Amino acid sequence: MEKPEKKNILLILLAFFITVCVIFLCLAKSQTLKEVAISFYSYHDSPGDLAQKDSVQLTKQIKETQRRISVLQKRIENLAPATPYLIINTTKNTFVLRTKKEIIREGICSTGSYILLDAGDGQQWIFKTPKGQMRILGKITNPVWIKPDWAFIEESLPVPSKNDPERREPGSLGDYALTLGDGYMIHGTLYQRFLGLPVTHGCVRLGDDDLKTVFNNMEIGSKVFIF
Amino acid sequence: MKKLNISKKTIITFLASQIAIVVIIFILFDLIPVTREYSTISDKVSERGVNTTAQLSKESSNLIDMVRINEHHESYLRNALKLSKIDSISLLIDLRDSLAILSLKGVSIFESKISKIQINQGLKKLPDFLRDSLYSGPLQVTEDLSSIEKFPIVVKKPAKDTSEANKTEAAPTIPKQNDVFVLMAFDNNMILEIDQQENKLAGSRFAYMNYKRQHMNWFMSRNIRSLFGSGQWGYIYQLKIEIPREDAGSIYRALPIKPFVLVRY
Repeated sequence: MEKPEKKNILLILLAFFITVCVIFLCLAKSQTLKEVAISFYSYHDSPGDLAQKDSVQLTKQIKETQRRISVLQKRIENLAPATPYLIINTTKNTFVLRTKKEIIREGICSTGSYILLDAGDGQQWIFKTPKGQMRILGKITNPVWIKPDWAFIEESLPVPSKNDPERREPGSLGDYALTLGDGYMIHGTLYQRFLGLPVTHGCVRLGDDDLKTVFNNMEIGSKVFIF
Repeated sequence: MKKLNISKKTIITFLASQIAIVVIIFILFDLIPVTREYSTISDKVSERGVNTTAQLSKESSNLIDMVRINEHHESYLRNALKLSKIDSISLLIDLRDSLAILSLKGVSIFESKISKIQINQGLKKLPDFLRDSLYSGPLQVTEDLSSIEKFPIVVKKPAKDTSEANKTEAAPTIPKQNDVFVLMAFDNNMILEIDQQENKLAGSRFAYMNYKRQHMNWFMSRNIRSLFGSGQWGYIYQLKIEIPREDAGSIYRALPIKPFVLVRY
């Protein structure tokens, strides 16, 4: 008596399992089934007031709209800066130096690593490059890096006082630097092999030749778009 | 092995019950919401007066199409100008030129060529004037799903000593490759999906399956909501574009949390 009962229970369980699978599949494939459902329907198109107009009026309306389109296109074109500007892609780690009309130079760069340095005691720094529209605030030749606190903490070194000469590091920023504000800069690097990778503390690093071109083409006030 | 003793009648009953379940689910979760959406759209069409393009001459019909296309283009440009006044990055999808564009302050900062465009039946069937109003943006993203993180933050502790610090400096962690699939939902029953064009996965299969699961759950929850709701998400108008993986990643990470999107068809 026992064996057939067990078999029946197994069959009921199997049937239940199949049913659950069917329900799940139907719900999971609902988008496809909705496409089937919508294929049963079709709408009337309604041109509204346009249907009352003759071909002369419609042609006139098209011409007027096209004229407005040209005006709008011009207005949008004029939003691009008149002087050279820099676009930095922090995902691909690439840059484009361009004018409204043409590309002056493009290549690879290094941007923020997105590392969150957790030094404990509530001390945290996030190394990301800020996004948005910025302007060049300063141009420096032979810049000296004034190392902030995190640079010492990161290397497990004691943090010196504010004006300690130990904070000064000449040479590591390359030949030029363009400041963006809040301590962020576009500068050179000793680690040329890491160009194209997100390895910085938030600044934008460029190769030597690229940096020179950017430095020579960008003026104070020039726009930098970072995304 | 003993032979199972299942009667023909049992098998037929079981199969019939499965078919009945499929039909009931189809009616409940697909047909009813779609019918509800259809009647909403039909009401809007009749409000406008049923004067179909079929009654017009071919020339008039073509001219009306031209008027619509131009007016839609004008509205797209007006909205692009409106978006240039905000400080965040917006996404412009130009289906006519097959371009996905990132725009900041009206300046096109990134362009990616769209390799494939998929528009679902509902969107294709929608009367032109309603499609215009559906697209007339700017549309703000209310929810999104993605296979990649928006901010790929890695938590790091300070080096134990200078030798460890030197080692890290000499060989920084290179970010791993990820596959990019994004879904952006708007509050007008419309979604935009941005998928990588590459078929071969660059990242892990697990991450891909995880996204697919989230994707399926998202649709399922909308289905259940639409059953009890007032027609919201009854039918989802879906626009899907495919672009290169790296471009899709750049676009997703560049956009703010609830970005504005403009679409030109």
